[in-house]
Amino acid sequence: MKLGLVIDLDVCVGCHACAVACKQWNTSGTTGALSDYEPYGKQPSGVWFNRVRNFEVGDYPNNKTINFPMSCMHCEDAACVTVCPTGASYKREEDGVVLVDQDKCMGCNYCSWACPYGARELDKVSGTMKKCTLCIDRIYDQELAPEDRQPSCVITCPAHARHFGDFEDPNSNVSTLVRERGGRALMPELGYNPTNKYLPPRVARPVPTDDVKMDLVSKVKNWVNKAISK
Amino acid sequence: MAKTSQAAKPLPKFEDHSKQETKYTTCYMCACRCGIKVTIEDNKVRFIQGNRDHPINQGVLCAKGNAGIMKQQSPAKLRKPLLRKQNAERGKAEFEEISWDKALDILTERLQNIRDTDPKKLAYFTGRDQMQALTGLWASQFGTINWAAHGGFCSVNMAAGGLYTMGHAFWEFGDPDWDRTKYFMMWGVAEDHSSNPIKIGIEKLKRNGGKFVAVNPVRTGYQAVADEWVGIRPGTDAMLALSMIHVLLQNEQFDWEFLIRYTNAPYLVVNTPGQKGDGLILRDEDGKPLAWDLEKEDFVDATQVDIKPALFWEGQAADGRPVRTSMSILAEKYLDSEYSPENAEKVCGVPAEQIERLALEMAHVAFKETITVDVEWTDWAGRKHDKFIGRPVSMHAMRGISAHSNGFQTCRALHFLQILLGTVDVPGGHLAKAPYPKHIPPGIKPAKDCAPNTPLSSPPLGFPTCPEDLVINEDGSPKRIDKAYSWDAPVSSHGMMHMVITNAWKGDPYPIDTLMMFMANMSWNSTMNTAEVMKMLADKDENGEYKIPFLVIADAFHSEIVNYADLVLPDTTYLERFDTVSMLDRPISEPHAACDSIRHAVLTPDRDVRSWQEVQVELAKRLKFPAFTKEDGTPKFQDYKDFIVNFEKAPGIGFLAGWRGKDGKSHLRGEPNPNQWEAYIENGAFFKYDLPENMHFYRFANKDYLEMAKEVGWNGSTDQIVIELYSETMQRFRLAGQGLYDGPMPTKEEHKERLKTYFDPLPFHYTPLEEQRINSEEYPFHAVNQRPMYMYHSWDSQNAWLRQITAQNYLFMNRQKGEEMGIEDKSWVWVESHNGRIRVQVKLMEGVEPNTVWTWNAIGKQSGAWGLKPDADESQKGFLMNHLISELLPAKNGEMEITNSDPITGQAAWYDLKVKIYPAHEGEEGSFPEFETIKPLPNATKPDHVQEHKGQEVGRYQSHDAVNLKRPLGDILTRGKK
Amino acid sequence: MHPAFSVIFFTVTSGLGYGLMTLMVIAYLTGFGGVTEQSALIAGVAALVFITLGLLSSTLHLANPKNAIRAFSRFRTSWLSREGVFAVLFYPFALMFLFCIWKISTGEHEMGMGGIVAGIIAAILAMVTIFSTGMIYACLKTIRQWNTALTPANYMTLGLMLGALFLAAIQATAETLTLAMALIAFAGVMKLMYYAWIAEPAGSTINSATGFTNDKVRILEPGHTADTFLNHEFGHTVLPSKSFMLRSLVFILGFIIPFILVMMGKENMILIYAAVISAYAGILVERWLFFAEARHVVNLYHGAQRT
Repeated sequence: MKLGLVIDLDVCVGCHACAVACKQWNTSGTTGALSDYEPYGKQPSGVWFNRVRNFEVGDYPNNKTINFPMSCMHCEDAACVTVCPTGASYKREEDGVVLVDQDKCMGCNYCSWACPYGARELDKVSGTMKKCTLCIDRIYDQELAPEDRQPSCVITCPAHARHFGDFEDPNSNVSTLVRERGGRALMPELGYNPTNKYLPPRVARPVPTDDVKMDLVSKVKNWVNKAISK
Repeated sequence: MAKTSQAAKPLPKFEDHSKQETKYTTCYMCACRCGIKVTIEDNKVRFIQGNRDHPINQGVLCAKGNAGIMKQQSPAKLRKPLLRKQNAERGKAEFEEISWDKALDILTERLQNIRDTDPKKLAYFTGRDQMQALTGLWASQFGTINWAAHGGFCSVNMAAGGLYTMGHAFWEFGDPDWDRTKYFMMWGVAEDHSSNPIKIGIEKLKRNGGKFVAVNPVRTGYQAVADEWVGIRPGTDAMLALSMIHVLLQNEQFDWEFLIRYTNAPYLVVNTPGQKGDGLILRDEDGKPLAWDLEKEDFVDATQVDIKPALFWEGQAADGRPVRTSMSILAEKYLDSEYSPENAEKVCGVPAEQIERLALEMAHVAFKETITVDVEWTDWAGRKHDKFIGRPVSMHAMRGISAHSNGFQTCRALHFLQILLGTVDVPGGHLAKAPYPKHIPPGIKPAKDCAPNTPLSSPPLGFPTCPEDLVINEDGSPKRIDKAYSWDAPVSSHGMMHMVITNAWKGDPYPIDTLMMFMANMSWNSTMNTAEVMKMLADKDENGEYKIPFLVIADAFHSEIVNYADLVLPDTTYLERFDTVSMLDRPISEPHAACDSIRHAVLTPDRDVRSWQEVQVELAKRLKFPAFTKEDGTPKFQDYKDFIVNFEKAPGIGFLAGWRGKDGKSHLRGEPNPNQWEAYIENGAFFKYDLPENMHFYRFANKDYLEMAKEVGWNGSTDQIVIELYSETMQRFRLAGQGLYDGPMPTKEEHKERLKTYFDPLPFHYTPLEEQRINSEEYPFHAVNQRPMYMYHSWDSQNAWLRQITAQNYLFMNRQKGEEMGIEDKSWVWVESHNGRIRVQVKLMEGVEPNTVWTWNAIGKQSGAWGLKPDADESQKGFLMNHLISELLPAKNGEMEITNSDPITGQAAWYDLKVKIYPAHEGEEGSFPEFETIKPLPNATKPDHVQEHKGQEVGRYQSHDAVNLKRPLGDILTRGKK
Repeated sequence: MHPAFSVIFFTVTSGLGYGLMTLMVIAYLTGFGGVTEQSALIAGVAALVFITLGLLSSTLHLANPKNAIRAFSRFRTSWLSREGVFAVLFYPFALMFLFCIWKISTGEHEMGMGGIVAGIIAAILAMVTIFSTGMIYACLKTIRQWNTALTPANYMTLGLMLGALFLAAIQATAETLTLAMALIAFAGVMKLMYYAWIAEPAGSTINSATGFTNDKVRILEPGHTADTFLNHEFGHTVLPSKSFMLRSLVFILGFIIPFILVMMGKENMILIYAAVISAYAGILVERWLFFAEARHVVNLYHGAQRT
């Protein structure tokens, strides 16, 4: 299997639900707790697996705002794993999920240097690198209902802009979406083959107007009352 | 979904589910009221997720809902009732903790005294609560007319605009038919009611290939995913909408049948300018409106069936007065070149070509892509139809429309577009949600008088239709402390909370004794003119007595207003209380299902707090309110839960509509069921009554629906709900302004002028009032604000997770404009209005109309409030625009002071603000104005998940120890490249 | 990139140590520069001290050093792991070689085949270790300023240069001085090439990072108002004016002054010592810039237009 996410930029409204759902689930999850530094003080910050950024494409008035959630892409050629000296970072053979074994990480930050997507954040308290686990502790938990065996960010997304599935299966939801909607990878030039894909905004259908436009603009006086029964 | 049922290698048992409990309740991180599934471990929350079965959110949950854990962990939670220390100054946060018994004794004594003498001396106003049915009942029983919730400063224009036009509204009263709509236009919506359903809906629309057009000066959030962005100038939306109507009329694109059958468009209107009766609807002796029948060629009762009324007609009434149809007036008005796209372009900044195209696109979808739903239904006259005809154009609008002083008429203008296109409560259009639609307007009138120890004769809030309904004295002066339903704002159906403190401080119209507020931050982000209002709250008269003698604040958190309280009553969090989201109030209904819901305590509070619901019932018992007391003087209800089960507004109708009847088998109406709470809890904390298919559409004229609505108490009659294009209500007030009304009329010139100018029976565009009174060359920018989606309507942006997203707000301005003015990204600037100035940090962006600046609202906090450290960014760099906004309009020489509100509804005109901007001097940094740091409350404690680490505070929340997924050493040593 | 002092000190100091050891071994075995046993011993011990100090310092930036021992386990793919393995392997051979020299210096032994082999292996491992250090950075496609063969080349030449200077300071002969000057010149040219190379615009842009390639793309909000781990680690920038000033300092302190001092210092050891200190200081600045000027692609997600 090759598990990963598809993010639909056509409908992502940038609400941060995915990011907070992720924080919520994972602070008690396999790599928890996720530290928050100065949670009630100056410059509050913390460890998150998922961040939503906003970009603007084009100049006013031809501008479009793009809401852009980012988390681990679970790359096929994951340089973060290649460079890890301890073996704490690894890509699971069975499903391609990239994980960090918290008992083995020495906190050298090197994997975060290798990651182009900013998916890895060091936790100052545990001294270990933390990252998206694709909710490994949800997706394989047999005690959860089947529809709950998906990453938190996907389940929570109010705009259904996130899809989880197996990219190895050409008929899976994610493969189909990527095929039909032209899903693309970020920074493909780096050659890491990120599994996660982004669906570009759709181009809206043109709505015709010629069939409702009158040649000669009418005036009230011209209108003939229609005898319509109330 | 991937097939993840079989992992190749055994995985550890991540969670011990046997230690967990799952409970369903209702979210309260904002006003959206989603169903949530709360997983609990040792009285600690493991996880909160959306309830898949819930009608509102269908399993999804927003950022706020997902941050509920941090709300529960908040250091700002109030812990015990607080009394201002004797001799301590108000506003200095010198409190002593007292027992609940003592707190309730103090309050009961004070309230009893007021109730015995002059009940209106209690002003009771509530903020972001959703229990107005209870608080309103409480106020009625107490006998004070001085009650309202926060609708007046929130979005009354949307409610009133809809209820006075089509019997339902945007806001929570209706929804686009997301499953069928093909064209969706969204006006002035940042994040708003109802947040998750809109997101679910927009995705559905886009997946179905529909087009999404967003009208908004700012392109963020929803507008980001719009297929077309209309970057309109703030406060000009009416012009845009009416110009589109101009285009529709020019091209004869309107729904003849819909207008004739379901609206008052064919009603005849008297046309005798300058005379009494001008502009009123021509009626027969029984008061029935008249229309001109094309076949009979005679006047007919317009409410009759099987007539053929003329849509356009001008002539003379039997008594010789000239008359014409509403539609004739409407067409003439909007076909005027004033509303041409070319003229609208000058006002709105939207290209004429675009205005015309958008109007025609909607016409195309409405009339050339018509849909039908093949279900047999019966119209109000008993005629059967084999299908519902649908015009799949829908709209949604909110605060960007309502928070202007022209918002009521603008909102009506939007509804006019919907009505002309025939898209109201039809498949693919805008659908009403039970208990709406109601008759226009709903038949409740505001209470006018108070008497000692006597409940009000009607609710404090209602819907006036004529000057007789105003709550004024003989001399025309206001009776209510907020001056709602006075000549200042005759149709202020939600009250005018934003005026209460100013008026009480002035003693205008009279001094009060006690101001009691729940969940309303009126010394900070929920008030206009923040700095001055802070002074008023602590101001004393010449005898050294506080001008507002006693201030009671009920809140769960240490918000800024708590600082000013004489008595603080600590509330529970939403996870610790029993609560109802009632059909008597603002229920969670969906277009095709009547729904309500409950909250129940899924956690036990760790401090001495009581829910405000409980406290109100307790006070009602102590004060012996008739509705809460048996004839022998003993209490009728033990507690809130008991009250909810057993209170009946009318026989069989109570706060909760589901599982009524002794056996729990009746729905919507039935005897009290002692096990009703249990039934709700078992069903996931909500009740959903699916309407039969034949009641899904055209409910304003749907016999079966109208009969059911009357039966279950939603409506008072089964009459057809006739959509009011032409508003006779507005005209009655206008006549009063013109001195042509048989009844109460204003005496002050300013009032007359406002009535004459703004109470147009057909919507029109006018420049917002502040803008009319300031020099736009001096103050060239519109300044608006919006809440971010992850904080919208949440009662705590100090939330430890959410504040990491935004702990500081910036003033966003158009990049090209900023560059022209030499203003650099991230530089500090002064923003000045007629009311004051603030210093803020600028961010330049593309997606904002060049004459507009905006910010995220309510990020700025007072130092020390909300459990934040004194140096938190919210207080040092964050800012409020509220300082710039006055609750009064800029004074004109010799004129009376006039509220900065919509002249019709009293809606606070937050977004009318105009400002000038100039760079701060070098070294001028940090937000201005600054306020003193609020002292911490007695026994304030750090949340249990916060620890020290290397000199830094670190929060680490966990409900159980992490179970790591270990990589075997063999794998480490043997795996190759991947 | 955040220029962490521990890493700067580590790479410069251990580079000096490995360069010194390599040159000492070659010089001693070939008789170059007339390096005596005593000088070789001093150089060798000094090299080991530098290397050890550097390695110890490198562990200071670990957030969880108790797992440092695990760093040897991913030799198969990780240059950091390889560096560690080579660095550790280096010790027995270096010590064995020094032991032989010590034995020779006490007159008990002559240099046998074992000693020679140990020396050669130590010299090779020293170079391989610096190369690995360079490759730690050079293998990162995320940082185009590092992702070049010039990175390990620079690390090696700068290590050798510092080593040569130090060797000359221990035993200043015409040959060692000439070698030092030659390596200074060579390393200086290499560094010039490096700066010229990174000046060329290349690599990922905000467009390829977001997938929107037809228009100008700008960040609106990064999703947090306070800096995160990513900003602290990767957000460091150097103003062009400061960069020019510091690069000038690199060349003046690192190459020009040492070259002149060595040229003038045939008779005066003080000048040679001064050259060593100047060069060391210059290369510390060079290393600071190496980190500070590296622009990680993640900055594209925080608003940088290009790296």
